[in-house]
Amino acid sequence: MNQSSQQLAVQPSRWGFPQARERSGGKIPVKAPGQDRVLKIFFGTCAVLSVASFLFLEVDWLKLLSRVPNMGESFVKLFTFDFTGFSSTLSAFGESVSMTVLATIYSAVLGILFGAFMSRNLVKNRLAVGALSAAFTFVRAVPSVVWVLLVLVCLGFGPATGIVGLSVHSIAFFAKAYAQSFDDVGGDVVEALTVVGANRLQIFFRGILPAALSSIVAWFSLRVETNFSESTVLGMVGAGGIGFVISSNIQNYRYGRAGVAIVMVFLFAYLVETGFSKMKRAYLMDH
Amino acid sequence: MEHRIPVVSKREKRFYTIFFAVLLTFFAVATLLTQYNPFALLFQGGAFWEFLTQDFLPPTLKDPAGILSAILTTVALAISATSCALVLGFVAAVFASPRTSIFPRAGKVLRALVTLVRNIPSLIWAFILFSALGIGTGVAFVALTISSFAFMTRTFIEVIDELADSSLEALTAAGANFPQKVVHAVLPNCLMDFIEWYLYSMELNIRSSTIVGMVGGGGIGLVLFTYIKSFNYPAAAGIILIIAVLVIGVDRLMAYTRKKVLNEA
Repeated sequence: MNQSSQQLAVQPSRWGFPQARERSGGKIPVKAPGQDRVLKIFFGTCAVLSVASFLFLEVDWLKLLSRVPNMGESFVKLFTFDFTGFSSTLSAFGESVSMTVLATIYSAVLGILFGAFMSRNLVKNRLAVGALSAAFTFVRAVPSVVWVLLVLVCLGFGPATGIVGLSVHSIAFFAKAYAQSFDDVGGDVVEALTVVGANRLQIFFRGILPAALSSIVAWFSLRVETNFSESTVLGMVGAGGIGFVISSNIQNYRYGRAGVAIVMVFLFAYLVETGFSKMKRAYLMDH
Repeated sequence: MEHRIPVVSKREKRFYTIFFAVLLTFFAVATLLTQYNPFALLFQGGAFWEFLTQDFLPPTLKDPAGILSAILTTVALAISATSCALVLGFVAAVFASPRTSIFPRAGKVLRALVTLVRNIPSLIWAFILFSALGIGTGVAFVALTISSFAFMTRTFIEVIDELADSSLEALTAAGANFPQKVVHAVLPNCLMDFIEWYLYSMELNIRSSTIVGMVGGGGIGLVLFTYIKSFNYPAAAGIILIIAVLVIGVDRLMAYTRKKVLNEA
């Protein structure tokens, strides 16, 4: 027994493998102890925090489980579609899509403007850039539903509320994303244009903007998806659109109508997502 | 005699032309439908400032103990839902990815289900769940878990699909079974990506748990919603500041963790 294991251990060295590799029962060590420690701490902390927060919530699971049959019933009711009042659902859907489109377009334009002011390639004043990006960080940190609620107080019910409310968060998002895109263009483009005597406006419109166009379109399409899902949510907190149709129909136990609206939301979101990902793969990925 | 060097290739130029033309059409139709005029809003700007400066500011804080427990509820919701979704999403992704799945047909069904769940906003799920199961943090937990489960399953499937052939092939050739493949090929190769997406989901869920709280999940979102609905704007302003600090703090913490775990490892 002892002899045979010795023979086995010797064998690899015949081909010149280092003997040390054979130490732990023929295994090649693939782990780095330093990495393992960090990961262990990370997963340990996550596990402890997760269990602690799970217990903190003090959920009455038995009561919840006893209601699960209701869940199935709700889904059956949602999927027995009821097409009465479809025209009003359709117009609410059109309103949601319009709010998405307008909010995204207006905020992309403003985002390009603010992004240019926040780009290190264009603005040298560090203090101004810092102040602007701090303000936008604050705006982004507050969920857009909250902004919509506040705009609702000022402007009242209507599509303008949804558009402005969505825009607040989107502008802050675009400003950061586009400032990053403009920074990514790189100093060589800016330098080349500066050398030939271009002013800052020319540098932006002739050098940076064309080079950042693909990432501008990419961020734009991402935000269209987000804004559509946000715009369907708006109705639930009191602004208009398809969200209002969904929430009011569910509250009035007209599940069939809500089901139709939810399927419309799903189909549109799905089409937009697949459309944009096809578009990106075909035109934007190749450089 | 003007010579121009085109910065954008011809094919791309055509794409951008079509893209902006479509965008312009949508813009025109949407403007017609909603009659939205941003310049009209500029004239109402005065009312906006008046509201902001007179009704809204300065922010006040009432009942700090209640607010603290509301914050804890929101954070606990986010953490527990994200972790639960991580475990479920990993298991689902391993079964749904065509690279590893032992039930390819079930995997297809699972992928379709995930697409369905993911394309319906989480607040709509929350609303459906609240109407069926009643309101409360438990239901908010379920709603958050469902939407981040769908998100993570999809990203995890993509990560596994991008896994290099060599390690899986080597294990298959050596006769490894399904759990061995998962433990020795998928886990070590994809762990860092999984952690990355987990941290990202955590950031998203802090925001989502605030919003889901508003429609009946409890926590800081519900506190804010009650203040706004009862026209108590200074107190609402205080809560909004707290939410902003919370979200920025969590983002910073996640960025720090990302740097520690992903760089050192």
